[in-house]
Amino acid sequence: MLAAKTITLPSGKTVKQPFNKIIIPAAIAIAVFIVCSWVVLQNKGTLKLYEIGTIFKQLFSPTDYPAMNIHHTWGDYFGYLFSLEIREALGETLRMSFIGSIIGSVLCLPFAILCSQNIVKTKWIYVPMRFIINLVRTMPTMVMAVIAVSLIGMGALAGIIATSIFTFGIMTKMLYECIEALDMGPYEALQSCGANKTQAFFYSVFPQLLPTYLGYFIYNFEINVRTSIVLGYVGAGGLGVILQANMDSIYTRSRVGAILIMMFLLVLLMQAFTRYVRGKLQ
Amino acid sequence: MIKFINTGKKYPNGFQALENINLEINDGEFVAIIGLSGAGKSTLLRTINKMNAATSGQVLVNDKDVSKLEGKELRELRRSIGMIFQSFNLVKRASVYKNVLAGRVAYHSTFKTLFGIFPEEDKIMALEALEKMGILDKAYERADRLSGGQQQRVALARALAQNPKIILADEPVASLDPITTLAVMDDFKRINRDYGITIVANMHHVDLAVKYADRIIGLQAGKLVYDGPSDAIDEEKLIQIYGRSLHADEVHGRVDAPKIKDVAGTSVFDKENKKEKKKSVKISDVEGE
Repeated sequence: MLAAKTITLPSGKTVKQPFNKIIIPAAIAIAVFIVCSWVVLQNKGTLKLYEIGTIFKQLFSPTDYPAMNIHHTWGDYFGYLFSLEIREALGETLRMSFIGSIIGSVLCLPFAILCSQNIVKTKWIYVPMRFIINLVRTMPTMVMAVIAVSLIGMGALAGIIATSIFTFGIMTKMLYECIEALDMGPYEALQSCGANKTQAFFYSVFPQLLPTYLGYFIYNFEINVRTSIVLGYVGAGGLGVILQANMDSIYTRSRVGAILIMMFLLVLLMQAFTRYVRGKLQ
Repeated sequence: MIKFINTGKKYPNGFQALENINLEINDGEFVAIIGLSGAGKSTLLRTINKMNAATSGQVLVNDKDVSKLEGKELRELRRSIGMIFQSFNLVKRASVYKNVLAGRVAYHSTFKTLFGIFPEEDKIMALEALEKMGILDKAYERADRLSGGQQQRVALARALAQNPKIILADEPVASLDPITTLAVMDDFKRINRDYGITIVANMHHVDLAVKYADRIIGLQAGKLVYDGPSDAIDEEKLIQIYGRSLHADEVHGRVDAPKIKDVAGTSVFDKENKKEKKKSVKISDVEGE
């Protein structure tokens, strides 16, 4: 397997097939997987498979706790599912991620241009710019949310800041890679017409970029909806806030279940929406 | 008038693309530049609107030294010079009309153009340019829906919309089929004749250069080796430019082009070999049908 193979053709010529180098990284990956699994399994705890049924029942149906004098009906369950609290949290999640996506994707445009090697030809502009963008991207959104919450307090504004920065980082990177792959012929043609750099960009690069840009925006909006659900966990507004509030007590498990159902529906809807819009953009 | 005085171009990697070019192109002329790939044809053309700056000597366009122009002055010069490219360089997903209107961008402020605000005259100019090129009915189609020849006409319309005195064409027909090539070259001739626009074109096809241009400039390794009227081009001069005599298929493969028999006649068809001749005649017969 590992040895180079020699094939002899009917004409008598021999062709030496080169050694397939993919085997080495593949072998390393398998070895790492085995070692990691072994380490993890050292501390396996106790598997309580039989609990799954109970947990699901607590989450997705009304549960009675007679000892606490708590009696729930399906009416209560659906009542909470469509309650004002959930609707408001849902709205806040959507608002947060939408505004964050808009701010991030508008801000990223000039930075994406400054990162593009084919537009900014000066190395000492695009290299440091890319470094800054990479720095922004290494910061986990959760950490940014925590910082934002501690700076301006709990609420949607902190979430907007976190999602904006997240969108900004990822969109800049995606866009400048896209700009670098574009056909620069029209840009050159516009410059030969006497257009300045800004005009040339908006009349040649931007129209080519536009469908991709909108596609990225929609895609980021979808990601932001999912991320911002979790952001609420650290107090940055949205569904995550009520999720966190109901997670502590065993008696509010059915509420957690209802919130999970809503999250699931929201993500599903967002995916359908993204697919529809991206299809239209093609 | 375009005037080259001891013009030279040395690329940063040390390659001397042009050396000591002295040349004068009068208003209204149709000039073809021929030579091997890498002889400096594109570079010469691009020094005229400083898409590539000359590194020594001068390039004068209407007595202004182009290589010294910067910023606004350079852009003002460029907007009076149209440029045509081998690959058309249109924004493929934009409409034909938008592509042509882009030729007017340099006449207006950045702010206005960013919002797409153009005066009525400009819109009419753009549509008129399309009318002149005979593709007005395609105005609101996406540029990439058009055939290669039509796309090059859109590029020509964009150049015309600039209201230029000069049109520079960098291999304008190199990616077109032989039939479309002739049609587009006819358009160049028409623009040159009807509107008195100076045309400077890089050409790979010697026969087309001879047929359409008034004057031929031959470059070899960055040096001017021929400059004269197109009907004075003969075998000896082609050897000067290309370093050896050309075979029939190297001239273009179209022996029915009127002047080509005079041009390459002697060596190509008689001296070189007779097989070549038969082959070429066959090709021309097929194309003639």
